[in-house]
Amino acid sequence: MENTNLEAQNASQDKVRISGYISLVLAILFFSGLFKDAEGFLKFFDFTNVLGAFGSLGTVTEEAGTLAANFRGTGGAGVRDGWLFALTLAPAVMLALGIVKIVEDMDGLRAAHKLLNPLLKPVMGIPGICGLALVASLQSTDTGAGMTKELFERGDITSKERIIFAGGFQLNAGAVLTNYLSSGAALFTFLSVPVIVPLVIVLLFKVVATNIVRLYVNKVVKEA
Amino acid sequence: METKELNKPAEVEKKRNFIESFVMGARKGFNMSMNNMAPNVLFAFAMIQILNLSGLSTVIGKIFGPVMGIFGLPGIAATVVVAGLLSTGGGVGAAASLALNGELTNPQAGILLVGIMLFGSVFQYMGRVLGTADVESKHYPALVGIDIACGFLGMLVASFILGR
Repeated sequence: MENTNLEAQNASQDKVRISGYISLVLAILFFSGLFKDAEGFLKFFDFTNVLGAFGSLGTVTEEAGTLAANFRGTGGAGVRDGWLFALTLAPAVMLALGIVKIVEDMDGLRAAHKLLNPLLKPVMGIPGICGLALVASLQSTDTGAGMTKELFERGDITSKERIIFAGGFQLNAGAVLTNYLSSGAALFTFLSVPVIVPLVIVLLFKVVATNIVRLYVNKVVKEA
Repeated sequence: METKELNKPAEVEKKRNFIESFVMGARKGFNMSMNNMAPNVLFAFAMIQILNLSGLSTVIGKIFGPVMGIFGLPGIAATVVVAGLLSTGGGVGAAASLALNGELTNPQAGILLVGIMLFGSVFQYMGRVLGTADVESKHYPALVGIDIACGFLGMLVASFILGR
């Protein structure tokens, strides 16, 4: 009995999808270096070329020289440059999330919940009881969505309100606080306006989107 | 991009002093930088490098120039939009790569930041938000459509505020 099981297992392991052979051949070509100095567009199909180069830290000429502003250097390209760029962002993300955690532990987010509570129904058409889930969803989409499911199962919100809350507020700019302070930080250096300005526009449109979904739900969706 | 861990009950979290809170948050920031952001940024830089090496970026720039122009953006910004729809980190990484190459101006990077935040990772969130909250799947197309439309609307408004 065991033997037949093993044989069946081996047989299924022997089957290789056609995509396996194709990807293997392509990978060998990609790593081979054959296209490293290719003329025209084919040079993109080379490991070393995609890997790119670290930026230069400066140039030294006789009794003079230039120095790059930071360890990323200047004139880098490709994945190598991307890696150093990602490293330059880590301190900002760590500082930002460290401070957010202090605010959270000092009940700052619960305070936000309390302040937002009376506004939810008139501004977005969802009951005040969604406040805690709403504040949680600003940090984590998964937590917000999980709490929304519970709210519906407990009968605290209707099916329509669930669509407005999850499909409107949470789907648009999900986990906006976390995403803005982590991923978004990659673009902060380029901003010519205070960091808060794009965030305010995003939050505004989060509310606009919620109201468009509210309109959709009220006009199109039939069930109660 | 945020991690999938669920928050612990608030009662348990209250007993920390602010140093412990900061260190805990900063650790989350480090994990997020290394496990979420860096791989996404690397992917985006590789993608932009491939587009540049193959010359496709010029083609994309020409094809999408008129459409992206509405939002005060060059045609190549279409790659940022596509990357952003798939993953917030990828979109931001692509925008950063283009801005570092001088292919996007500072205001344009800001416009894209608004768009990426609004419609970022929408296809992932379809499962992670709508799926988790048990929203009926027949509403998905409308909800995703509204999400993307609002992202573009946000970019249009941002282009007038941040400068075009």
